[in-house]
Amino acid sequence: MKDLVLTPTITIQGETLLKVLRQACKKIAPVWPLENFVAVNPYLGLTDQKFDTAAQNLARIGGSTMTLPISFYLNKIREGKITHQDLTTALYAKSTLKMSVDAFIKHLELLDDQVQDPPTIATLIDVATQVSAKDWNRFYTSRISVWAASYFDHGQAMWAAADQQAGLFSAWKAEAAVDRTPEIAGLTGFRKAVSALPADALKAVQSALNILELSATDLPDYLHRLLLKVGGWSAHAARLDWDSELYGGQDGKLIEFLAVLICWEACLFQCLETPVLRVMWTQAQKGFSASLDQTEPDQPLAEKLILQEAFDLAAQREIIEKFQKVTNTLPKENTQVKAQAIFCIDVRSEVYRRNLELVDQGIETIGFAGFFAFPIKYIPIAHEVGEAQCPVLIKTGPTLKEEIGDTKSTQQAYQNRILNRRVYQVWKSFRAGAISCFSFVSPIGLSYLPKLFTDSFGLTRPVPHPDQAGLKAKDSKNKSISLEVATHNHETVGIPIEQRIQMAKTALSAMSLTDNFGAFVLIVGHGSTTVNNPYATGLDCGACGGHTGEANARTAAAVLNDAAVRKGLKDEKMVIPDNTVFLACLHDTTTDEIHIFNEQEVPANQSEALLDLKKTLAQAGHATRTERALRMAIDKDVDSAIKGRSKDWSQVRPEWGLAGCHAFVVAPRARTQNLDFGGQSFLHSYEWKKDNGFGILELIMTAPMVVTSWINLQYYASTVDNKHFGSGNKTLHNVTAGLGVLEGFSGDLRVGLPLQSVHDGENYQHEPVRLKVIIEAPIAAMNTILEKHESVRNLCDNEWIHLFKMDEQGQVSHRYAGNLTWEVLGKS
Amino acid sequence: MSENIVALTALLSPAAFAATAVLSWIQPGFKPGLVKSMSLFSTILSIALVAWSGYFVFERGLLQSALIGVNDLGFSIRLDSLSTLMLGLIALLGFIIVKFSNNYLDGDQHQGAFMGRLAATIASVQLLVLSGNLGLLFVSWILTSISLHRLLVFYPERPGAQIAARKKFILARLGDMSLFFAFLLLYRGFSSGNLEVIFTAIKNSPSAHFSFMTVEAPALFLVLAALLKSAQFPTHGWLIEVMETPTPVSALLHAGLLNAGPFLIIRMAYVMDASSVAPILLMVVGGFTALFASVAYLTQTSIKTALGYSSVAHMGFSLMVCGLGAYPAAMLHLVAHSFYKAHAFLSSGSVIDLIRASKVTRTNQTVTPLKVISGIAMALTLYAGFALIWGIDPVNEFALLVVGAVIVMGLARLFTSALMVKSGALLLQTSLLSLMVTVAFFTLESSARYLLANQVPELALPGWGKIITAGVLLLVFGLVVFIQIIAPQLTPNPYYRSLAIHVRNGFYANALFDRLVGALSVNTASTKPEMNAFETAKAEKKELQEQLV
Repeated sequence: MKDLVLTPTITIQGETLLKVLRQACKKIAPVWPLENFVAVNPYLGLTDQKFDTAAQNLARIGGSTMTLPISFYLNKIREGKITHQDLTTALYAKSTLKMSVDAFIKHLELLDDQVQDPPTIATLIDVATQVSAKDWNRFYTSRISVWAASYFDHGQAMWAAADQQAGLFSAWKAEAAVDRTPEIAGLTGFRKAVSALPADALKAVQSALNILELSATDLPDYLHRLLLKVGGWSAHAARLDWDSELYGGQDGKLIEFLAVLICWEACLFQCLETPVLRVMWTQAQKGFSASLDQTEPDQPLAEKLILQEAFDLAAQREIIEKFQKVTNTLPKENTQVKAQAIFCIDVRSEVYRRNLELVDQGIETIGFAGFFAFPIKYIPIAHEVGEAQCPVLIKTGPTLKEEIGDTKSTQQAYQNRILNRRVYQVWKSFRAGAISCFSFVSPIGLSYLPKLFTDSFGLTRPVPHPDQAGLKAKDSKNKSISLEVATHNHETVGIPIEQRIQMAKTALSAMSLTDNFGAFVLIVGHGSTTVNNPYATGLDCGACGGHTGEANARTAAAVLNDAAVRKGLKDEKMVIPDNTVFLACLHDTTTDEIHIFNEQEVPANQSEALLDLKKTLAQAGHATRTERALRMAIDKDVDSAIKGRSKDWSQVRPEWGLAGCHAFVVAPRARTQNLDFGGQSFLHSYEWKKDNGFGILELIMTAPMVVTSWINLQYYASTVDNKHFGSGNKTLHNVTAGLGVLEGFSGDLRVGLPLQSVHDGENYQHEPVRLKVIIEAPIAAMNTILEKHESVRNLCDNEWIHLFKMDEQGQVSHRYAGNLTWEVLGKS
Repeated sequence: MSENIVALTALLSPAAFAATAVLSWIQPGFKPGLVKSMSLFSTILSIALVAWSGYFVFERGLLQSALIGVNDLGFSIRLDSLSTLMLGLIALLGFIIVKFSNNYLDGDQHQGAFMGRLAATIASVQLLVLSGNLGLLFVSWILTSISLHRLLVFYPERPGAQIAARKKFILARLGDMSLFFAFLLLYRGFSSGNLEVIFTAIKNSPSAHFSFMTVEAPALFLVLAALLKSAQFPTHGWLIEVMETPTPVSALLHAGLLNAGPFLIIRMAYVMDASSVAPILLMVVGGFTALFASVAYLTQTSIKTALGYSSVAHMGFSLMVCGLGAYPAAMLHLVAHSFYKAHAFLSSGSVIDLIRASKVTRTNQTVTPLKVISGIAMALTLYAGFALIWGIDPVNEFALLVVGAVIVMGLARLFTSALMVKSGALLLQTSLLSLMVTVAFFTLESSARYLLANQVPELALPGWGKIITAGVLLLVFGLVVFIQIIAPQLTPNPYYRSLAIHVRNGFYANALFDRLVGALSVNTASTKPEMNAFETAKAEKKELQEQLV
């Protein structure tokens, strides 16, 4: 296309432009919808940069901060948590400022937290906001948000205003050409400007960049800033791309979203253009390229990063010392154990495991990712499609269907649920329909009075639990899983026998559980019990894709109890005694109760042992609750107070979730057995001597290690910058589009965790430190894996996690120093 | 026991809440144990006092306290079935909302102040419904709005909260002015501020006896005040924005304070009944708002915003029914809506549970003319059957027929959507539900009529103006229900979609209002542009830090 306008600025087109857009989009981490809210590292797209560099860039581009205010660290210094030694090390490692620790502290005390943060680069709308003294930023965010909520809606609106079938960009363009709001707010000619844009997203971007007179060198940071300004919806679009790419599809949703943002800028520019705006905008553009040359972080930020480093060092020192205080030798011989209990690596399991082992020393506990190496897709009864019950990093394996007892009951329950759903829909069309809502409220509204009371006292739930909705109580109790191969909606369900054997073998080897089986092996998935909590699934199991671990535990138990599987394993020299029963269990992390699903499979001669086991579990539960009560400031009626929280519709902190998580220990349980990590450490059982070829280590370092760092960084970011990477105040949450929340009436979709999840009003319940990963394995093996997986290496080299080696004595002996080198830690 | 003492005892309820509010000055902050206990105590006391007052009202009908004031104008309490019902409503909601807030706001740095402002608001609403004199009614009317304002700006740093509160403030002052003129004219016309004196004077006079300035003009001002209080179109914008403050405030506002509009009309029912133009204005604005907002509700993607539209719609419907003269039906709707909406707001965190439960296999729906006609016929039959059994008088109870017609529309919706899926079990269940709806409506409506027997005028055949207005409204309502019934069969076309966009934006009334109040202006102290927003975030964090130091 020949363009007669002589603007020398735009030189990139087509493929090149697409590449620049894609690069910007790759910097945005995805966010999962609340129906399966999985933790994500919000800095995911930045891990190829050093932690400190990313902090500097985010400050300059996104106005985001990656540390707490100075006063927080000063307090930690005063409390003695950060020692002078920590500070010296941090100062020495980082700084260009050659300053003594005392001088540094004095200097910090003179500063107060009101130090101006460095200015962020400005988009056109930022400039227009300044020039016109009108908050176009807020206006723009709310318009984008209103449209995006409509376009991405999962069924909250009954009459969709946006065309969800159309492509993202064309749907926006169609709506923006109709919506009068911008013009009423003072953007005269906005609709005309939108209509004049080309229909194709990429061409529209080109045209918009022409209008904005941006040059190619300006783009990367500018585009990144645009995305960060509407970071929530960007992250949602990034998640759609993530899923699509995981299953071999195309990206493109976020690129189109970015196109919308660029076009908004251009259209607003056309509406508001004045000589002043033009001059100021040209000025602002200089900022884009100027900042590229700046390599050193600005002074206050650099100081805060030193403090953060010292705080990290202090936490590392503490955990290293913790290991020094006890000698953890491995048990000499294999003594017969009563039972094994396999828990998720989740930090909340640590407390329960410790207490369980205290109550009964004959029980051995094992830590493993909570999907138990069964990455299934699970179809709840009468549901249309299945959901992924595995970490979001991997594809699902076999699909399984939920059943209720025998075929007849299953059929019955299936029909009941469908009928129940239909009645619900008919009733909803009456209750919520225009005009008919009046005929609903007059006669039926009073029935909400008793419901208000029963809900208030926790006797009823405001709405039925989604797992139980439409099912009879009896049916909910009799849920089971079928491994038989069949078809459902043109999809094969079930697991063929060879695959069952294969999966069983993989799972048991990965758990280092290949001999010395107890009479019971508990496979303990976990889930939470909360009501009226939009963030409920965030408390469930991330390894099960933001669901409870129930389905995975049931599947694992069913496979491992299968006689044919046992036989197959025997052929592979893996002998499970006949009297060993695998029990599918669920650990309720809110109430610390453990429920066993397949008691009926326990033979009569073991029923007494089962009774004992249940007693032990109950005792351990009570001990765990007592320990947790301290953190919740509950001093009396611990059991009922904690259980009460799980039923309280006004409770904003039903449990602390993974708050406080800061370490991940990959070693045999014996290494950690006598240690109290206070529910802040992930624990993965692993014996490297049994791991031929280090295949299991590779799995651990590429999956659980990455996932735990995601969780840790999600909490980190929600703590240090709740505005950009957290979801704000829970009391203001306004669930939107069926997938996220707004804080209040409008604004961007919020990502990350609510303030209430990291702070109790007085203190941080999650203190921002980076994850320490302590692995008992040879250095060479770890190096090989790091070398092979660039993204994992980035995490370690760029200090997003701190990697340590544990030696044969169970002591933390080496620290990874980047670039495949390790430094020996001195004994203190 | 003397009438004066009984009436004044009821006053203990707002007094306890007021004491809680005062207590919160001493304990405005973090974990205010005393304020929390005191507010819960006030709600329980309040419920007990309602039972107490209810007993006496049942025995004696009407109780009034002696006047504190001059020239029949000032401060007096009126206990009758209407005020007791409203007092009970607020006491029950107060208990639920206070209990909810005790945990919900836990850890907030200003929970004490929050509970105090909540208590002050409850106190002022209770005072409003207990008023027996124009003087107190006017003062408490203003108090409700002022105490609410303090709750709306509980997080003063939020620009959205400030703008919504500013819009609300402007409308509330206009409403106050209207009410002032209404009361001024009433006082001038009847030479008394005592409600009973005014009502009796109207009851005992033949219609058309009063001059325009005595009844018609004040009635018009009352209507204006009610429309403004209840966020009727086009002044609804602030209401759909006030989720900038914690959820319990929304629950209290939507279930409690918004009722002040219809309550005012029902309280002054005799004045309304004696005027001819004012009720028609009420029907037209209320009816249109009901229609507009209940359609706009369908397009909203955020739960609290959607609920905001729903409240606007239900207030519109209540006011419309008031306009028709069916005050007991309006009262029933008001009370029922309060509980429904309080629950909807407090449980608004459960939306995700509903989304998760919605993945059940879909079934095919087909709409055929036969199904639509049968659905409507079934609804009509059911309703007509009951109307016959109940013995509705179509002439004098015309207003009830209009409300009944709306019920029939709802039932038609129920039946047709059940018929769209081929399932006998579904039809059976739907029929049972419909039966329940019909029985509940007739029972509750007559109960409301029995309870309010002496507080509102009896139903009578309305004038032609009302009949025509009602007819037009019903026609449009019916059309909208019909379109919804056949909606699955409509192919989306661009006009339909454009309409959806305009409706979702509330026909831009709010955008215009925003412009009028300079919502985007950066210069006002309260609003901060995004560029400085991280400083706000930093300040917030600093505040969190302060207790550490």
